[in-house]
Amino acid sequence: MPAGPPEPRPRRRLPGNLVTGAAIVLAVALAALLGPWVAPFPYDEFHIRDRLKAPDAVYWFGTDEYGRDVFSRVLAGSRISLFMGVAATAVSLVCGVALGLAAGFFRGRIDEWLMRLMDLLMSFPPVILGLLILAVTPPSLWKTVLAVGIVYIPAIVRVTRSVTLELVQEEFILAARARGESAGYILFREILPNAWPPIIVEASLRVTFAILLGAALSFLGMGAQPPSSDWGLMISEARSYLDQAWWMAVFPGLVMCLTVVGINLLGDGLREWLDPRLRHGGA
Amino acid sequence: MSPPEAPLLEVEDLCVSYATGFGVLRALHGVSFRLMPGEALGLAGESGSGKSTVALALLGLLGPEAAVSARRLRFGGRDLLSRSPEEKRRLRGRAMAIVFQDPFTALNPSIPVGRQVAEPMVFHRGLAESEALAAAIGLLHQVGIRRPEVVARSYPHQLSGGMQQRALIATALAAEPELLILDEPTTALDVTIEAQILDLLESLRRSRRLSILFISHNLGVIHRLCESVCILYAGEVCETGPTKTVFRDPAHPYTRGLLASLPRLAVGDRKRLSPIPGTLPDLEDPPPGCLFHPRCPYGELRCRREAPLFSSPGPQRSVRCWRVGEIGGVSWEEAVGGARPLADEAGGPAAKASPPLVVVRDLRKRYRLGGFWDALRWEKPAGRKFPRPSWAPRFLHALDGVSLAIAPGEVLGLVGESGCGKTTLGRTILRLIDPDDGAIVVDGREIGSAPEREIRPVRRLAQIVFQNPDSSLNPRKTVGEIIARPLERFGLASGAQARRRVGELLEMVRLAPSYASRYPHQLSGGEKQRVGIARALATSPRFLVCDEAVSALDVSVQAAVLNLLEDLRRELGLAFLFITHDLSVVAHLAHRVLVMYRGGICEEGAIAQVLRPPFHPYTEALLSAVPRIDRGRSRIRLREEGAAAEFDGRGCRFQDRCPRILGKVCRTVTPPLLEPAPGHRIHCHHRLETLAALPSPVDAAPPGAIP
Repeated sequence: MPAGPPEPRPRRRLPGNLVTGAAIVLAVALAALLGPWVAPFPYDEFHIRDRLKAPDAVYWFGTDEYGRDVFSRVLAGSRISLFMGVAATAVSLVCGVALGLAAGFFRGRIDEWLMRLMDLLMSFPPVILGLLILAVTPPSLWKTVLAVGIVYIPAIVRVTRSVTLELVQEEFILAARARGESAGYILFREILPNAWPPIIVEASLRVTFAILLGAALSFLGMGAQPPSSDWGLMISEARSYLDQAWWMAVFPGLVMCLTVVGINLLGDGLREWLDPRLRHGGA
Repeated sequence: MSPPEAPLLEVEDLCVSYATGFGVLRALHGVSFRLMPGEALGLAGESGSGKSTVALALLGLLGPEAAVSARRLRFGGRDLLSRSPEEKRRLRGRAMAIVFQDPFTALNPSIPVGRQVAEPMVFHRGLAESEALAAAIGLLHQVGIRRPEVVARSYPHQLSGGMQQRALIATALAAEPELLILDEPTTALDVTIEAQILDLLESLRRSRRLSILFISHNLGVIHRLCESVCILYAGEVCETGPTKTVFRDPAHPYTRGLLASLPRLAVGDRKRLSPIPGTLPDLEDPPPGCLFHPRCPYGELRCRREAPLFSSPGPQRSVRCWRVGEIGGVSWEEAVGGARPLADEAGGPAAKASPPLVVVRDLRKRYRLGGFWDALRWEKPAGRKFPRPSWAPRFLHALDGVSLAIAPGEVLGLVGESGCGKTTLGRTILRLIDPDDGAIVVDGREIGSAPEREIRPVRRLAQIVFQNPDSSLNPRKTVGEIIARPLERFGLASGAQARRRVGELLEMVRLAPSYASRYPHQLSGGEKQRVGIARALATSPRFLVCDEAVSALDVSVQAAVLNLLEDLRRELGLAFLFITHDLSVVAHLAHRVLVMYRGGICEEGAIAQVLRPPFHPYTEALLSAVPRIDRGRSRIRLREEGAAAEFDGRGCRFQDRCPRILGKVCRTVTPPLLEPAPGHRIHCHHRLETLAALPSPVDAAPPGAIP
């Protein structure tokens, strides 16, 4: 039954949380990119006479115990935190997707071993596992990224595996096998394109966990090192001045909170936006 | 109480619409019918015609986004529209109850069946819990469940599909409703089980004076159960009347088209089907005039301008068509210009002498039931002190020594109930499943145990078409990419050449070449199935496995796809293994048939041989269970209970359910092979003369009654 050209698909409205989340994330990302040029002071410049000053017109977020501008430090810190979140997630994404695809597609012994290994990783509290990986050698940002990435591999593996298990049942995979396609083709050309939406959503939520875990590790002294202005480190340093200078801890904390909420909104919005059932229309 | 003549349910001018982002979707428009106490009314139509919406509107179960209006909606003499939600809630379940299509999801898996049946009695009739449970057991007995006490304590997953459907019907009857609404209650079940459920409904109707609103796409089932029928098209009623007269002498063109699309279960009925052209109209933008006119071969100018009014061509009948008085003598086939007989078929394909293309010998495949630990037993041997472990797994024999041969250009039908191993057989022949034992030879090449790289040339020759059009196409690829991939894979064409070939293939399955740029979700079910066929044809195979390839389609689409397959067979000389549960489809398309039961073959032979006595008792039961629009019912019913047990390899595999079981010999001795005619083989202990004397549930020639 021939028919005319395909009907144009009506544009769907973007979900509100996607737009809000994207706006926040964009703002933080801009701050991270343009920080050094926008900031009123270099993040490590001492102003000895203005130590522990409350927020005012010059120092918007106040100053710390060396008279460094907290606003400038928060701006500079956004770069570290975002990098931490994105790079660590990239690490877990690359490893997790590969392992999850393999586990879900080959099943059997590979699946069994991989999943038990993941159970093992998950049985450690994230901070403990991160500390374990970092404690044996001197700390550096790269190692923190790697550690945080490893901690969140199991989450990605599990999501990827469950989507793969579902997709492997589909008849188009059988059709590919009836053509004698290789495992690589089936995994990366048939399964992966359909598995992306839930993985992307999971990954976007993992970014927030990675930021928080990175900050926690810095707070514990295992991540970024002074004089870096990582948000976790700033809060850690502010701890001893909490009764005199609340702003030293509150502003980095607030910004971190806002970032995490923004990324979460973005993730939820993406979930709605990418859901094929919603995208392809019900009827 | 209403006087006996007053209808139980009166629906007049029922309209349901949804506000979508782009306009108003008219799901139902001006639907009217009435149902007398004790009457069974069938609502028929293809998917998207609004059948289920009617049921949900009656029950008030449509969501808040649906706008429902009606001139009149009365139940038991009382108005339904003005009821408060609370009153409606009490009414449904109490006075009207519904049974949904899928018994496997409609029962709560974590509550014993007895309590689920008892619950409405507690809620609607105020019985105490223990009283209700006792009543529930009585009710389970009434719906034909043996050992109802045991079943009442069971969980849904422990029951077979037919038993679950019976339990659901019991649940619906628990509050003693006056009206039972059944929405495709047998669609998910095997024919033999379907026949039993229909028997049950009929006896319940008589014993309880129950009114039934029966929703189904299956005209045969409606014919079997309902005395009147209401045909819906695109949310409008196009014809109502007594079932017998409507099906014998359909007045509305759509009804005629539906009936003409239906393959008949009859020997020698191999004429081409005449499907309804086109597709359902867009209900957000319905065509002016008659909704059916774009697809109607009888249409005239007036049909395009004015919506037709109802007229009555006979007693109790009404038809919404302008031309109802004028088209009586012109059959649908004449009107669409189809109805060519399928020519070549005297006794199978012409290439009879040529060696078979596909040969399968003694194919076996078994699956271990349960995991490693399930097979481990600790037993204390007599005279020993300590128990010893033994590892004895149980197996399901999906294929238990199956042999077959398919000649080039031949259609071999494979029928049997769900779980008999049909799909396993089809997939094993293509080595999508590795057999445990046996030989598979395709085009002279043994592939039963060959490694994948040696199978590759055969993969080009042997392809498969799947059942589920929604799952068989990768949603992230365009139709063009999907069809082009096999070409690339086997190095047959690339670039512009591949694009040209994709266009040819699309044309071969009667789709416009512009479809190449579409994504699967932009296609209808029938179109997706055609793309699936085009993909399978891309490598110019010589053998196609069609695994329930038309089962998920509406009759008019199914007819078009069947015609297409038949044409392709003739043009390309394709051989088919056509797997289906639908005997009418097999009777229409196949040259030879295999009847399978529990991994083994009961009977095989040319289609005319299998459809006529002598029969294997299982074939007889299958044939007589098929609900038909062209004759009354027949009586052979299979027991359902035995089906759950496994076949241990001793005796006849059909022994547990055989209605003609002889006795001990059937349980202990493998049945002998009877060969009443060359190529016709039956595995049964009965004497050939006995089997030959069985009454035939199939007509010798196509019934002339239906145009």
